[in-house]
Amino acid sequence: MNDSFLVAGPITPVLISELMTLGNDDTGAGAVSVFAGKVRDDEIEGKKVTALEYSAYNEMAEKVAAEIIRTVKSAFSDVRKVVFVHSTGVVKAGEVSLFIMVTSGHRDHAISACRHTLELIKENLPVWKRELF
Amino acid sequence: MKNVVRVLWFGVAQEITGSAEEEFMAEDTAVLRLQILERHPGMRTVNFRLALNGTMLKKDGQLEENDVIAVLPPFAGG
Repeated sequence: MNDSFLVAGPITPVLISELMTLGNDDTGAGAVSVFAGKVRDDEIEGKKVTALEYSAYNEMAEKVAAEIIRTVKSAFSDVRKVVFVHSTGVVKAGEVSLFIMVTSGHRDHAISACRHTLELIKENLPVWKRELF
Repeated sequence: MKNVVRVLWFGVAQEITGSAEEEFMAEDTAVLRLQILERHPGMRTVNFRLALNGTMLKKDGQLEENDVIAVLPPFAGG
């Protein structure tokens, strides 16, 4: 399985469970920090958002994702594994569209690096969304 | 020299232009930007960046035949 990738549709609990087993063989990793981003049912001009439709520039996104992982690993010396997936296509309100997992030797770097990964994704990953009502 | 380049539209740019991609003829990316705004005035409201062959463009430069330019509105992942 790749370190990062785009996935069609919502990130299901089953997929999250599978992702969380990555790195299980690394017994030196004492900390696992995870983040799940979910679609919110915002109200826009009196209408409720029922879902978001994500699109991506796939070819560039794969390159950017690899670069984000390299950046995070070099910025946090204790980090051992960085995994994230982002949805494309339709994701309903309440469903997960972004999942990040960072493992490290100890808790400080896992938590900080997870947050940093999220900010880098928001800033650099070529992904767009459209509200569906 | 003008070269034929493929322009890919993403996000709101796809909605404004009504297509996924188009061909342009331009010698460099500065000229291409102007051509984009001329052909699609709706793009004037979008603060877009360009990627050249899958890599974010840091500054304007020459275009080669068959280059792929992606028009990238502000990202909205997460």
